Amino acid sequence: MNKIRKKRLVSVMTLIATSFLGVYLILSALNSNLDYFYTPSEIINAEIPNNKRVKLGGMVQMQSVIRDGTNISFNITDFSNSINVSYNGVVPDLFKEGSGIVAYGMIVDNRLIAENIFAKHDENYMPPNIEIPSE
Amino acid sequence: MIVEISHFFSILSAGLFFLAFIFSTRTYQGNHNLELLVNRIFSYGFYFIFISFLLYVWLAIQSDFSIRYIAEHSNKDLPTFYKISSIWSAHEGSMFLWILFLAGWSQLFNYLLSKNDLLKAPAIGVLAFIIFGFLIFLLFTSNPFETILPIAPINGADINPVLQDPALVIHPPFLYLGYVGFVIAFAYNTAFLIKGDMQINWEDVIRPWSLAAWVLLTIGISLGSWWAYYELGWGGYWFWDPVENVALMPWLAGTALIHSLYVSSKSKVLRGWTILLSISVFSLSLFGAFIVRSGIIDSVHAFANDPQRGLYLLAFSAVLITTSLIFYVYRLPQLISKNLVVAKSKESFLSINNILFAAAIFAVMLGVMYPLIFDYLYDKRISVGPPYYNTIFAPLTFLAAIFLVFSVGSLWQRTSKLLNFKSFLSMSILFAAAASICISYIYQDFQWWFVGALFSGLLILIRYFLLIVDSMIKKSYFNKPSAIAHIGFGVLILATALNASLSYEKIINIKPGEIYKDSDYEFYLIDFDLINEPNYDSVRAKFSVKNIYTPNKTFFMFPEKRKYFIRGQITSESAIKITPYKDIYMTLGDQLDNGYWVVNIQYNYLIRWIWIAAAIMGIGGFAALMERLKRK
Repeated sequence: MNKIRKKRLVSVMTLIATSFLGVYLILSALNSNLDYFYTPSEIINAEIPNNKRVKLGGMVQMQSVIRDGTNISFNITDFSNSINVSYNGVVPDLFKEGSGIVAYGMIVDNRLIAENIFAKHDENYMPPNIEIPSE
Repeated sequence: MIVEISHFFSILSAGLFFLAFIFSTRTYQGNHNLELLVNRIFSYGFYFIFISFLLYVWLAIQSDFSIRYIAEHSNKDLPTFYKISSIWSAHEGSMFLWILFLAGWSQLFNYLLSKNDLLKAPAIGVLAFIIFGFLIFLLFTSNPFETILPIAPINGADINPVLQDPALVIHPPFLYLGYVGFVIAFAYNTAFLIKGDMQINWEDVIRPWSLAAWVLLTIGISLGSWWAYYELGWGGYWFWDPVENVALMPWLAGTALIHSLYVSSKSKVLRGWTILLSISVFSLSLFGAFIVRSGIIDSVHAFANDPQRGLYLLAFSAVLITTSLIFYVYRLPQLISKNLVVAKSKESFLSINNILFAAAIFAVMLGVMYPLIFDYLYDKRISVGPPYYNTIFAPLTFLAAIFLVFSVGSLWQRTSKLLNFKSFLSMSILFAAAASICISYIYQDFQWWFVGALFSGLLILIRYFLLIVDSMIKKSYFNKPSAIAHIGFGVLILATALNASLSYEKIINIKPGEIYKDSDYEFYLIDFDLINEPNYDSVRAKFSVKNIYTPNKTFFMFPEKRKYFIRGQITSESAIKITPYKDIYMTLGDQLDNGYWVVNIQYNYLIRWIWIAAAIMGIGGFAALMERLKRK
């Protein structure tokens, strides 16, 4: 192999290796930062590791909101199961009993310690995979 | 009656743009009269859509609730200002505005471009086709002219209170002007690829247009970020929400484009890459429109979903992008330059940064699309959190900053000796390293991203400082617009890093008459006022705040909660005390049974500097544009 070809081969190989490395780094960053979305029934039926952050969606159960100082505790329900959520902070304006919300945090012993509470900027929002039973 | 005229003019305009497109396909023999005819028809197409929009604005001001869209998004009691902005508060009207801007840019291009330009006719043809396609989309799937007959409602449904805000009146127009401004680069380069005459200097034609679009997009995104900060009550400036991400991608691609254009016009290398970028920027704008308007992705900003709209947008964008790419692939062999990029030349550093930008776009795209792919493959809903983007953007930004600094003072088409011991580059690296270690030590924060951001931000600022001082002493030339924009970039890196490292929040319980003492401030809650406004009631807290180090300078803060009558919606209005170094950001939470209130106090460090940095970057872009226009 002559010198120029050898040089070219090296640079092409470097290029390929770098792009593989780049894609690998991006994908591994992606993989370790996925937040899974669950409904209360899925949490109860699934094994969720204790230190994994998840998103829990559903409706704030009626008469379940308890405030204690800056803490707030309530149940998120999908009408067949419910999960208790505790949160320290200011809840969104659209948060009320009976409204659809998403809580983000860690599951500890079938309870969610929330870091964030989201309510969509739409009064009629309902998190996915949840159907309101007809009355 | 007026609505029918407005509607008719839009249809007429669609017809004229279609005619302009058809005639433009017959102009390739260089028939000048036909070309003039195309330009004329195109102008009339614009005039009609313009008048149509003006009439629509008039209808909105008059609160004509026989029009469904106006009835659903406006209200009699709104100030005129918001009656007009209600037009772009939802899908149909904002699409109308989008198309108006598309036609506006195109008409300006039609008007300003010399009629002897070889690519004028085909470029106008491409533009006419794009505008026609979007007008059809507007008229058939998202008609803002639809009326409610026979009886119009007495009053409208109001716009969402969080959208009743001055920043939000101007944020969408700037954003759209930015997005669609890149259509000129797309259309002209597609025309270039169709014609295939390699002698044409398309770089010089599209550069000012791309710069202008980039400046407007920068302003548009910053306004959105600023609005979200003070209005939504979360106190952040960027949330990596899918809709923000789809605005970021065209911006990243646009930034890469204006740099790559510079390289191509200077030394005729990277032409193929630059053309690909010009196609990508507009494609990403179209992709953004598709994501936001199809409802395919869950976001707080997304419009109501309608699969039919999504399908049309997807199909039409696919036609535009594929056509353009087919010509691109066909012409690519001719585009590849015989001159290669010299190692360690200015071009080489700009090329590396182009690759970094491409990686950033790829990462954002993956983050946006992955939940969809995952849902499809595993039937499981996921979302990609902010840590993903932070992990990727931090190292990419540091690398980009380093190569940016390498490119300063390097030479075009020649290897530059940069790392001499006495060179400015070495000095900058030494100073930046020393300063960033000191600052990390002061703040006791040694996280890799913090130190990295300090180093790369300072590196840019110091390098440009040395450049400016050196040029002033030697009275030599330096690229001022570029220096301004890059100093803005340096400030941006420092401000975001310090903001992330230093900011914190406190959640407190307080009732009237009580004082909350923090490390630096004392908050005294005096009382609450009940306020009745025409369209809402509000509860407003009155805090007297003082810094314990300067106790005689007290100031007041008024966080409030509003209840809007028409939608029954409750919103929080944060109180913000702005200082150069930090913002005190106060949000009122709920009232407890025992009379206490939950209050959130955030200390957001250097957050103003993030928008100031964006403004500096915009000014740099604007200065570059002015310099280009002057040289012509």
